[in-house]
Amino acid sequence: MFLEIENINKSFGDESVVIDLNVSLEQHKTLSILGKSGCGKTTMLKIIAGLVVPDSGSLSLDGRSMLEVEPAKRNIVYLYQEDLLFPHLNVFENIAFGLRIKKIGNVIVKSQVEEMIANLELEGQADKMPHQLSGGQRQRVSFGRAIITNPSLLLLDEPFGSLDAGTRKNMQGLFRRLAEKFSITSLFVTHDLKEAILMGDEIAMMESGNLKVYKDKMAFVEDSNTGVKEELTFWKEMMG
Amino acid sequence: MKNRGYIGILFFILIGITPFALSFGYALLYSFGVIGVANSGFTLEFWKAVFESGEFVKSLFYSIAIALVSTVISVSLALWFTLAFEKKLRGRILSFVIYLPLAIPGIVASFFTVQVLSKAGFFSRLFNKIGITSGISDFPDLINDPYAIGITLVFISVVMPFFLLLFLNVYQNERVAELAELSRSLGASERQTIWRVSLPVLIKKTWTLIALYFIFLLGAYEIPLILGEESPQMLSVLIVRELKQFDLSKISEGYVVAVIYTVIVSIATILLFSNRKSQDIHE
Amino acid sequence: MSKLKSIALWAYVVAIMFPFFFLLLLSLSSDWRYPALLPEYFGLKNWVQVVGTESGLAYSFFISLVISLSVAVTATLSGFFISRYVSYHKKKGLLTMLTYFPYILAPVVFGACLSYYFLRIGIFGTTAGVIIAQFIIAFPYALIFFSSFWNEKIKNYENLVSTLGGNRWTTFTKVLLPMAKGLMMVCFFQTFLISWFEYGLTSIIGVGKVQTLTIKVFLFIKEANFYYGAMSCCLLIIPPVVLIYINKRFVFNKLI
Repeated sequence: MFLEIENINKSFGDESVVIDLNVSLEQHKTLSILGKSGCGKTTMLKIIAGLVVPDSGSLSLDGRSMLEVEPAKRNIVYLYQEDLLFPHLNVFENIAFGLRIKKIGNVIVKSQVEEMIANLELEGQADKMPHQLSGGQRQRVSFGRAIITNPSLLLLDEPFGSLDAGTRKNMQGLFRRLAEKFSITSLFVTHDLKEAILMGDEIAMMESGNLKVYKDKMAFVEDSNTGVKEELTFWKEMMG
Repeated sequence: MKNRGYIGILFFILIGITPFALSFGYALLYSFGVIGVANSGFTLEFWKAVFESGEFVKSLFYSIAIALVSTVISVSLALWFTLAFEKKLRGRILSFVIYLPLAIPGIVASFFTVQVLSKAGFFSRLFNKIGITSGISDFPDLINDPYAIGITLVFISVVMPFFLLLFLNVYQNERVAELAELSRSLGASERQTIWRVSLPVLIKKTWTLIALYFIFLLGAYEIPLILGEESPQMLSVLIVRELKQFDLSKISEGYVVAVIYTVIVSIATILLFSNRKSQDIHE
Repeated sequence: MSKLKSIALWAYVVAIMFPFFFLLLLSLSSDWRYPALLPEYFGLKNWVQVVGTESGLAYSFFISLVISLSVAVTATLSGFFISRYVSYHKKKGLLTMLTYFPYILAPVVFGACLSYYFLRIGIFGTTAGVIIAQFIIAFPYALIFFSSFWNEKIKNYENLVSTLGGNRWTTFTKVLLPMAKGLMMVCFFQTFLISWFEYGLTSIIGVGKVQTLTIKVFLFIKEANFYYGAMSCCLLIIPPVVLIYINKRFVFNKLI
């Protein structure tokens, strides 16, 4: 498999935050992970990104062991719930950031960023500063800035958590299209049941440090722990 | 990464903490006679002398009294100005003018005070001209005076403008105007609103800073140096005077006072700090 | 607004403006003896002397500027970088408290206790000695000043840059320094003013050999040369007034 994680454990003091983590994922697929806050999902993503060192286990990407590689060399981008746009750079330069630090020539940067801006449906916004953008627009810039570096793996930590319902729905659609177009491999963490089902090619749930990957979406629906059944019962009762 | 963090902390200790530790250690050893030109080994003699002479204790209470009176008057005035003129002080010209006092350092304020409040100063001349006084000796002692009027006035003139700006700032950040409106709509009178809402909010947000300014005033140097009396003197003036004595045993006594002052201030810092650990350092 | 209130407000404004006018007037005067309400001589006589060598004021202004700029640059830069390690440290609370000790202590007492070491190193009574002494009290200020900059969000930015492929150099030059630029300006001017206004420590370490403007004011008081004293005061006040005019934040910051 493209991404292989085996038996990763991490604890802070006495508290086990990630327990026996096993994940495998094919290239160009998205694994969505349902989890409430405090279930260990952020630590898990940070371990994969190289920002936190695990106590044990192994991690490989495209057959290459990753644990010894520093974050900057992993080609894994971790996106926070906050968009973290650089306040001193405009939309264009925010998106171009990853290319600039790789010292890519101006002409290529310009064409790539312009194409990305079009894909993000942000035409005409290139010169705006972050504080002039709406929440949804900011999150798109954040995506664009990550995707343009062509990461092997994209880690998304509740990316739409702070958006209102309407914007959230638009962003889900946009992300699916981008994932398709740029053949993105990603882990998508969310606490929203529907979003977990919509966004993932595969689906998993994390609870108190344990990650359970389902063999398909039906298995996810059938598991009473996920809360899907509860939801169904509620709506059935509503309809009488 | 870990390694570099270590170097950073090393630098912190080297330039942030070492000078303080060295100076305190030196003063401590000197005060016990362990070091020093005329000293010949450990002795409690200087500590005894300091407490027996009574000058230090007098100086300590004198400093506390002046700092406390100045702080209380400054805070009260600044609070009154804030609540009375909050809107006016946001005007274009006034909002600039109220910052101007920050451009005047203690030494300039003291110099100015000598020029206007001394017996031959501007106000003495003015009162003489309009016939209130009939000569230099009629004008009261306002500087180098036994009640420290000059020192207190300058302390207030230096600290009060700062508090005014601080309170105006907090007034806006904490949206005191909206809170006061809410309180009135809940049936509180104007008086109740001020005492139960506006003032508590302003004080609660600023009291550590007020306490800190009290400590700064306690250790103030150039203002009491210029405007103070021969005796009693404020702490910093006393310490420096003793350390510059030709009488070598006095130097050790000066270090005793320096050690006590440092310990008092450090304890105050620890108390202040442990009380506000959960708060933000500054907004 | 009641009459009393508006009188109070006017009184305050007059009280603020009066010293500025008075000091300027005094600096332009000569032969102003009791009981005269206005000076006999009024003109530029004293100020012409500034450029001359007699008063030494031009030199004092210059040396004060050199000292304050050196202190401000070194304290701001070292404070910025070192506060990062302090703020990210496990024992942040303890370390920050230790920073407060030298910050709260009266500089003159601090200086008096340190003077022995300055004497030993051979920088007692030198400009370098004064710069180092003032740096020692400005550095804790800068350290405390920047500690609120290094929060969780900035840490997230640092992490983000590294997952985007940036190294430490790019993190600092392309992201952290540009983001902290405004704060660094404020810290620079604040530490500049700490140094510019400093008297006690400078008098102890400089022992009269390093004559900054504040030292000059004191000397002129002792010599009862009030006209030159007023002139030194004006020179001391001008830079902070200009700073207030440019940006109030440079002068007023509710630190702590």
